[in-house]
Amino acid sequence: MAIPAEERRRSPLYRALEAHGARFEALGGYSVASDFGREAAADAAQAGSLGLADLTPFPRIGFKGWNIAPWLAGNGAEMGEASNGAYRQADGTRIARLAPGEALVLADRGGAGPLIETLDGAWSMAEADGCFRVRRDETSCWLLLTGAHAPSMLAKVCAVDLRPQVFTPDAIAQTNVARLNVIVIRGDLGPVPAYDLITDLASAVYLWGALLDAMAEYDGAPVGLAAIRALLGGGEASS
Amino acid sequence: MMTRLPEPAGLLLDRTEQVSFRFEGRQFQGYRGDTVASALAANDVSVLSRSFKYHRPRGIHSLSGLDANTLVQVGPAPNRFADREPLVPDLEVTGQNYWGTLRHDRLAVFGLLHRFFPVGFYYKAFYKPRWTWPLWAKMIRRIAGLGTVDTNAPHGYFDKQYLFCDVLVVGGGAAGLAAASQAAAAGAEVILVDENAALGGGLLYGRADAGGIRAEEERARLVGDVEGSDRISVMTETACLGRYADNWLPLVRGNRLYKLRTKALVVATGSLEQPLVFRNNDLPGVMLSSAAQRLIKLYGVKPGRRAVVATADDEGYGAALDLLDAGVEVAAVVDLRMDAPRTAMGDTLAARRVPVHAASAPWEAVAQRKGAGVARVRVARIEEDGVCAPSVDSFSCDLLVVSGGHAPAAALLRQAGAIFTYDSDRHATTVAELPSDVFAAGDVAGTSGLDAAMADGRRTGWQAAQAAGLDVGPEPAAPAEEEPAAAQAAWPIFAHPDHKAFVDLDEDVQVHDLEDAIAEGYDHVELLKRFTTNGMGPSQGRHSSLNAVRILARAKSRSVDETGVTTVRQPIVPVTMGHLAGRSFEPVRYTAMHFRHLEAGATMMPAGLWLRPEFYGDKARRQALIGEEAKNVRDNVGIIDVSTLGGLDVRGPDAAEFMNRMYTFAYLKQPVGRSRYVLMTDLGGVVVDDGVACRMHEDHFYVTATTSGVDNVYREMLWYNAQWRLKVDVTNVTAALAGVNIAGPNCRPVLETLCDDVDLSPEGFPYMGVREGHVAGIPTIFLRVGFVGELGYELHVPASQGEALWDALMEAGKNHGIRPFGVEAQRLLRLEKGHILIGQDTDGLTTPHEADMAWALAKKKPFHVGIRSVRMQAAKGLTRKLVGFEMPGVGVEQPKECHLVIRGGEITGRVTSVAYSPNLDKIVGLAYVAPDQSEPGTKIEIRVDGARMVNATVAKIPFFDPDGARQEL
Repeated sequence: MAIPAEERRRSPLYRALEAHGARFEALGGYSVASDFGREAAADAAQAGSLGLADLTPFPRIGFKGWNIAPWLAGNGAEMGEASNGAYRQADGTRIARLAPGEALVLADRGGAGPLIETLDGAWSMAEADGCFRVRRDETSCWLLLTGAHAPSMLAKVCAVDLRPQVFTPDAIAQTNVARLNVIVIRGDLGPVPAYDLITDLASAVYLWGALLDAMAEYDGAPVGLAAIRALLGGGEASS
Repeated sequence: MMTRLPEPAGLLLDRTEQVSFRFEGRQFQGYRGDTVASALAANDVSVLSRSFKYHRPRGIHSLSGLDANTLVQVGPAPNRFADREPLVPDLEVTGQNYWGTLRHDRLAVFGLLHRFFPVGFYYKAFYKPRWTWPLWAKMIRRIAGLGTVDTNAPHGYFDKQYLFCDVLVVGGGAAGLAAASQAAAAGAEVILVDENAALGGGLLYGRADAGGIRAEEERARLVGDVEGSDRISVMTETACLGRYADNWLPLVRGNRLYKLRTKALVVATGSLEQPLVFRNNDLPGVMLSSAAQRLIKLYGVKPGRRAVVATADDEGYGAALDLLDAGVEVAAVVDLRMDAPRTAMGDTLAARRVPVHAASAPWEAVAQRKGAGVARVRVARIEEDGVCAPSVDSFSCDLLVVSGGHAPAAALLRQAGAIFTYDSDRHATTVAELPSDVFAAGDVAGTSGLDAAMADGRRTGWQAAQAAGLDVGPEPAAPAEEEPAAAQAAWPIFAHPDHKAFVDLDEDVQVHDLEDAIAEGYDHVELLKRFTTNGMGPSQGRHSSLNAVRILARAKSRSVDETGVTTVRQPIVPVTMGHLAGRSFEPVRYTAMHFRHLEAGATMMPAGLWLRPEFYGDKARRQALIGEEAKNVRDNVGIIDVSTLGGLDVRGPDAAEFMNRMYTFAYLKQPVGRSRYVLMTDLGGVVVDDGVACRMHEDHFYVTATTSGVDNVYREMLWYNAQWRLKVDVTNVTAALAGVNIAGPNCRPVLETLCDDVDLSPEGFPYMGVREGHVAGIPTIFLRVGFVGELGYELHVPASQGEALWDALMEAGKNHGIRPFGVEAQRLLRLEKGHILIGQDTDGLTTPHEADMAWALAKKKPFHVGIRSVRMQAAKGLTRKLVGFEMPGVGVEQPKECHLVIRGGEITGRVTSVAYSPNLDKIVGLAYVAPDQSEPGTKIEIRVDGARMVNATVAKIPFFDPDGARQEL
């Protein structure tokens, strides 16, 4: 089992995860919570009802500037014209278009992101040409809220209507959650509603606590990669 | 005498579960489903409270959680409505507003002294002579106060939730239920809100037909339809606090405040039964007909043994039949109307030998000689509106049930901008005009009769779904024309020469009080309300405003419509502070090393949203530890977490031009690999932030900003970039980078053990240089800066690796005496160097010249934000200047920040920073002084605590290492 404090890269939430009894596995220089000691079926049921996972260790990268669309297209990343939508790529990554001049590329549900590696490798300051890399893996934490109760629970901390029938898959809201600026992306796990929450890395511990408090009413609890894999139908890393 | 009735009476009760509680120190039993008031009624407790002004005994009046009669203290919570407070085991309930006991309140003497307390008396008394007011205020507060706030009560958990729907229906009576079902059938997502524990509204307790069976049949059918729809969410025991713009409505249920947004709103809040006004209409045992029916139907309580029913419309007939069915003898029905129509209920009453006295009114209720309740009622024939014949009939009874007609529960509609008119033929208020997305259904809209209410509900439900943008089907069939309901009696107010005819029971406002106020000139509804306090109690005029307006209208010979109504503001019902506060969200930011600081025993302090270590170790040794930490930096090596410093990436071909415009210095020719001080002024030339700009690439500046200022700097940069349209992108990377300042004469050897790809020698990496490399394998931006005045490196690393960097430095520094230092030690060290802190040593008016920072102004460039103001200030001359000062380390009182610099009785400045320096063994500080006091060696006087004056000497800064040799090692 991986030990977070022995890795060079550490999620700001690793102590909180340990306090909940997390068991870890290694991922890209981080330790990421695999599970919390539940039986596999119970773990999946928890995620299906209401779960919160720390995906901060997952790869992601951002781009800003007046020239992001052609630069990304030139490097194999396609996205639509409309802002506030997530665009799925062939390798399972998603590109969240936050504005005409801002995009965020997210790893798939297994934590893999070949496109992210490609884009990171292709970018240099010398040849930025109006498309500037943003270290989203360092600026932002990434939480995943899963389960049937997620919309109701979110309604306790966010004023935007995030009900599934209104906030459709791949929709994005750049809004305020528990008084923090948060990017909310609808990204279901199969039939289970799920919301990616991306916010200030330094506020991760605060938001984690605020969400768990709001989740208590629905018996929500932290979940790990195992539960996400189970909801996706096995060990496959896919979105 | 009130007792429990057998089932089926008591719809809300669970008789399998008895509940014990205490009231006024006595133990009582009720059932689950009871309210405190219903359980007390079942135990024949008739007095629940004392009135506000005259301390008259009061009991159940409306039983709808609206009036002050049932205000009680429940545990630590004051002013709870006993008729809305659910009975739970071991509840401790007491009465309020009495001196002595609830039964024997010594302050009831005010009732005898009423002639000395005319309306508005407190506006006319107590203010002369002026010094007496505090004494009166204390006494009045003691006498007139309601419950007691327990300031030691534990905090409850309150929170908030947002809700959304297509159609919100407020009110779960016949019209509301029908509206919800129809809207849902049209495809709308519906939320149905009702303040009661069960759906049905008036159908739960009212009588819809002479046989007494139709109400329950219709209720079961309507509720079944609602519960069978998966598009309707039902929220019972939920109060709607008001309606705000764009159909935003706050709701309260339990400890949660909901903020609901709906596309269309159906208000089906029904009507409010009005009281009759006559002498002693406030005695315990005098209650609205709906209250008596609620006691019977909902709580299974027989409300009395012998009753008189007085009514202004048909409502009282149904109540009389319900009383008979409950085993209450009905001595008489008194009908105020001159021409009451014949009805099936009237016929049934006649068949059951209940005499009906038409065109009559209760002239006076007579109190029991012992006890607080009603002994008998004197009934007189009405000669004209409000005037009765002198001869009276007297009926002994212990219950007087009254019904003075109905007024729409129109608060939500009025807040939505609806316009109402008073129908002078029917003597009732009806809605005339509504906004396009707000609909009124049932009694609140002025319909009458069950069939009309249901048809109105279906119609408005369909209209609301259509207004919500849904593709609705054909409009439901209009209801068959019904015979309009009979008009209410025109005038339900009967003043008495001996007074005590109350219009507003909450505030003890009588008919003659209103008449006197009008005679004094308070003849506008708003003035009348404020002068008499009529309508200012908990029921907010629901039972008193209409009658007050009638009295005003008659006195001024105006119509009710011309007289108008007072404004109905939110919240409609009382709401606790807990609900409004809700669960507070207090974001806090942690650096990557936060928990390492805690593990090292740091005392944390807020810095904006961040928490930073103030110092490390035992709080009792605070000052000594700060000194030790500072000394260790001077002698060995210390590290401080500077992750909270703002970080901004300014990138693009115009980055240097952008920097040149944003900051006062010159940046066009700044070499790559070098850092340069940045000073930002606003348009007024006021210093607003500082930091350093590191040129990482020809087109890339990495700029630091102050912890609390970075968000503003970022905002300003975006604002100006949008206007200037330069080829620049600005990104806030504050959280992305963890920062450590490792400083002290031994810092270089510590770093050398961890870094092999950056030449750390003075020649290879000079002061103010910038490099990129690795520390302990962690990618690092190195800044050679000297904020604390020692050889030092700021190491900026990816936040995810900040903790690993901290661990590596602490481990590598063990043999060099490394020790973390906190913000306080850093403040001392920088003060020794005379470095200013923006926000501490500057204020909202400080200019660069005042702060002695003219050196940071580029002289030749044409523009930076605020340049015109800065140059005008320079031309105008200084009025104050920031200087260093020093004092001996012992034998003098150390000033504090903001202590004033005074010369000849005039304030010339203030202290901004001050500390005792162990390194220098003297007190050093910064202060604003008059320009002619700024020369080093000038003596200044500072006024310290206790208005004592201490002497200080203006000194040249830096105080320590003035040549900067240590930081440039």
